[in-house]
Amino acid sequence: MRDRGAAAPGYSPWRHRLEVFFNRALLYLGVALFLFVVLLPCYWIVVSSFTPKYQMFSIPPRWLPSELTLNNFANLAANIPFFQYYFNSLVLAFFSSLLSVLLAFLAAYALARVRFRGSNLVFMIFIVSIAIPQIGTLVPLFELYKSVNLINSRAGLIMLMASLILPFTVWTLVSFIKQLPEEVEEAARIDGANLVQLLWRVVTPVVRPAIGTMIIINFIISWNELLYPLVFATSATVKTLSVGLVELSVDPSMGAGRPWDLMSALSVSMILPVLLVVLVFQRLIVSGLTKGAIK
Amino acid sequence: MHNSLTQTPRMGGKGAKTPSFFYLCAFASLREVFSEEAFAGMQMISTAGSAQDARRPHRRPRLSKLARNRYLAAILLLAPALGLRLFTSVYPFFRTFYFALSNYNPAFPPLRFTGTANFARMWSDLAVSSSVSFTIVFVLASTLLQLCCGVLVALLLNASFRARSLVRAVNLIPWAIPMVVAAMGFRWMFDTDYGIINDLIYRLTGLQIPWLTTSLGAKAAVIQVSVWKSTPFLALVFLAALQGLPTDLLEAARVDGATRLQAFFKITLPLILSQVVTIGLFMVVWQLAAFDLVYTMTGGGPGYATSVLAYNIYQAAFGGLNFGYASAISLVLFVLVFVMAGLGLVLFRRTEVSY
Repeated sequence: MRDRGAAAPGYSPWRHRLEVFFNRALLYLGVALFLFVVLLPCYWIVVSSFTPKYQMFSIPPRWLPSELTLNNFANLAANIPFFQYYFNSLVLAFFSSLLSVLLAFLAAYALARVRFRGSNLVFMIFIVSIAIPQIGTLVPLFELYKSVNLINSRAGLIMLMASLILPFTVWTLVSFIKQLPEEVEEAARIDGANLVQLLWRVVTPVVRPAIGTMIIINFIISWNELLYPLVFATSATVKTLSVGLVELSVDPSMGAGRPWDLMSALSVSMILPVLLVVLVFQRLIVSGLTKGAIK
Repeated sequence: MHNSLTQTPRMGGKGAKTPSFFYLCAFASLREVFSEEAFAGMQMISTAGSAQDARRPHRRPRLSKLARNRYLAAILLLAPALGLRLFTSVYPFFRTFYFALSNYNPAFPPLRFTGTANFARMWSDLAVSSSVSFTIVFVLASTLLQLCCGVLVALLLNASFRARSLVRAVNLIPWAIPMVVAAMGFRWMFDTDYGIINDLIYRLTGLQIPWLTTSLGAKAAVIQVSVWKSTPFLALVFLAALQGLPTDLLEAARVDGATRLQAFFKITLPLILSQVVTIGLFMVVWQLAAFDLVYTMTGGGPGYATSVLAYNIYQAAFGGLNFGYASAISLVLFVLVFVMAGLGLVLFRRTEVSY
């Protein structure tokens, strides 16, 4: 429109400049609004975690407390087995992301490279199983886990989490492996490499970025998970931070209101490592998420 | 693999012409959706396929020993992943049908088959019947809003402005924050007296909105949180789609005098529509089973206003230890998921055909 404006009779440079300015202003307004909406909850949670308890419940609410404190974090560690939960969350997230990526890598290689009848069907089974609601299978799963003594066990929980994120990981890795040129693998096969050598020496080095990406993404997803730990972790030795947060919010010993001081402190300690990881590995995460294009 | 790939379009087409075979159609189109072509198209990669096809003919005749090895390799590679999925997802799925017909309660062990008694009970259970309607409203409203906001945010992040990469990083934050934390944070922010959202609204407009204490307010609040949490992820996917679009089309439209709005609705939107519908479909299926938002933010309240089926299942199973009843509600959820997914797939086919 503007390009044609130069030839149009009523063209004035001032109008053009005004229009450009207006468009820029609109754009920056949009960006500002977006940032405000996204960051407001983060701001509030972080500020609350440093707000002394007596300033926390005021009407109207204080957007900035007059003094900052670290007491909430100290109280948190005194009220719940905070470090134990933290450790449990770390273990669960680390091993379930590792396990899921390992299994998904093997399966994805078979689906992407090995030509066999029914490979489409197997891929379908993986994808359709995403649609089976996690919550709907909880009761039989609970019975199953009870019968094999896996309730309140780290290994059992890790298996569940790994299984939950497996289909998405398979999907992403299949699309990644299919993208790779096949020539090197062919050459290795002709030279007599067996399957293990092929996977370990030839494929893994090339797929490493995708594997790293999926480990990071899966780590975040299982770090954030609530439902499985809530149901299958019944003692403090296995419970995670997300369960700790829920427990705080329903703890009857905390009195009538909710202990927002402790809850915000717990929230901040839970999201801080994740945000750090996200900011550092931003590019990888974006590529991993959009390659799978689901979750 | 490639044989079945070439067959799928025909199969899908037949299914579409005979609407009575709805499930066949859904299945066929599902195959199509997840076939390699659609798959590659979704990620805007157009590699490999043709090269592999070309190589295929002289590979085939090389014989059965290799083929056997191939099958062995495939089974070895797939067994752990498939085994885990069968063990923790597929088996429990089918087992749910068995429990749903019983009165099973782990506190009173002998399991008795009660036929459809659970379903009859559901019929008169106010908590469940109101959950069904809010589940549908919640899923449709939040998915639609997420799609609209997602496209808007993607357009915004695709424009060029200062510190754009920083803003794109910020966009990842809601995705990375646990739903528990977001729901708890928002629960406090939506508080009528102490919450900053109401404070902000009051300062701007002088209104006081009782968010979490009224039925309508709580429903709106829950949907807003879901939109806040999931929009950035959709925006991310749409942004990738936008970046993969050919720029010459848009430039041509500009030169021809199309306004920005026209260019968006006539060119950009149709080009990313299949992605929008695909993601919408996944969001619908995924959010039907979303449990943590309602559980941590409202606990289904006030009354049953924001109760969803997933929350009912949890309450019946681990609040009341009514495993049989919880399984019956799970079945309702499964039906909802399959119906919605089926409708979504039909819609997906429509959008594929329409341009």
